[in-house]
Amino acid sequence: MDDCPGIDGISAEALYGEIQRGAAPFILDVRNEDEFTSWRIEGFPPLSMVNVPYYAFLEDEAGSLAQVPRQAQVTVVCAKGGASAFVAAMLTQHGIEARNLHGGMLAWGNLQVATSVSAAPRSGFAFVQINRVGKRCLSYVIACDGQALVVDPTRHVDWYTSLAKEYHAQITQVIDTHLHADHLSGGPPLAGGLGVPYYICLDDVAGARISHEPLPDGARLALGSTIVDIIAIHTPGHTPGSTSLLINGRYRLTGDTLFVNSVGRPDLGARAEEWARLLYRTLFGRMARLSGEVVILPAHYASPEEIRSNGVIGTTLSEARARNPAFQMHTEQEFLRYVLAHLPPQPPVYQEIRRANLGQVMFDAEHAAEMERRKLWMSAAKSARIP
Amino acid sequence: MIKARQEIFKLNVGEVLKVLATDRNSLGDFQGWAKSAKVVRLLRQDTELDAQGREVYIHYLARLA
Repeated sequence: MDDCPGIDGISAEALYGEIQRGAAPFILDVRNEDEFTSWRIEGFPPLSMVNVPYYAFLEDEAGSLAQVPRQAQVTVVCAKGGASAFVAAMLTQHGIEARNLHGGMLAWGNLQVATSVSAAPRSGFAFVQINRVGKRCLSYVIACDGQALVVDPTRHVDWYTSLAKEYHAQITQVIDTHLHADHLSGGPPLAGGLGVPYYICLDDVAGARISHEPLPDGARLALGSTIVDIIAIHTPGHTPGSTSLLINGRYRLTGDTLFVNSVGRPDLGARAEEWARLLYRTLFGRMARLSGEVVILPAHYASPEEIRSNGVIGTTLSEARARNPAFQMHTEQEFLRYVLAHLPPQPPVYQEIRRANLGQVMFDAEHAAEMERRKLWMSAAKSARIP
Repeated sequence: MIKARQEIFKLNVGEVLKVLATDRNSLGDFQGWAKSAKVVRLLRQDTELDAQGREVYIHYLARLA
């Protein structure tokens, strides 16, 4: 079903903008109860929201309408934007101001929003954090003098090439900070399509059938002239090959090693304790020498509460040391107990996604979307990270 | 769903409607609808692969009254 003519609509991007500005739109989610429970639009402070499945409007129109507040404008949301258009039209007929989320949760799940990280943007230079809102995944683009580096891209590869074009830059290097298990990497297809190197630590890609360049500890990558200095630092734990990137000594892309309020789960390789020990040594050993002024920029976040007023998700290392619960563990034993006691369930699709990211299995676009969607339910239903 | 609802009321009481859907969400939708609709019973749901290897969701709905 197409969107009904005469019904107001809003795009996922515009809706995200409203939420970030604090406009607090009222959401009527008309998907079935299971879908609504497993994942939905979120904001901070939490949005006012009600779930009345669209088929309830068919069976009991009056009873269903009674569940919708009359004072507010109602944003109607369904899986793909069809059933919600039908309900929005019904609400409008009953004098309730309603609008339809175009593309539904499918569009929300694919929404990517770019926000500038560097406080003082200058010509020819861009450093942006890309938030895939529905999955709470973060990726990065740094552009300088017509060259661009992409870190941890999602599989929406065309999105990155168009973004680079906006900065009058060509993507010249692509990096994955680690082998991703929760989403399909855009790294190999993006780099392969452009004929540019794809870097990933060799410890994470044993048996891979994708073309890749090593990303050893201490490797230096330059971008454009010497304005951007990138150093790879081996920070194992979440995976044995997890690597952080220090940008101009000031920013650190931490991948899934260190988040604002948690750390990466070490249990995806069936050697949770061994990897948790690695993580401890990374956080309390290797990273202990880093200045507290360094801004950490992770590859995930746990809640929209972490989105700062400037739209960026990140924190200084000193702040993380003071507030992140993982940093409050003072011995290796305490840390291991804390981490191993807070492991979320591990859905089987993680292994499937890892194999896909290693090039050991191939999926068509439809299956890929479906596989990620399933994960999307899980990550939004329960925090996919610790705690 | 809206189409299936129209079709089922063309059936006689006791007859069964077979619905083919391409959307995975249809599983939960038909379960939820059958619960809220008094005159319909969901008899069975199957998932099969079509000739292109895509999943097809099949729902059998009986008209009760």
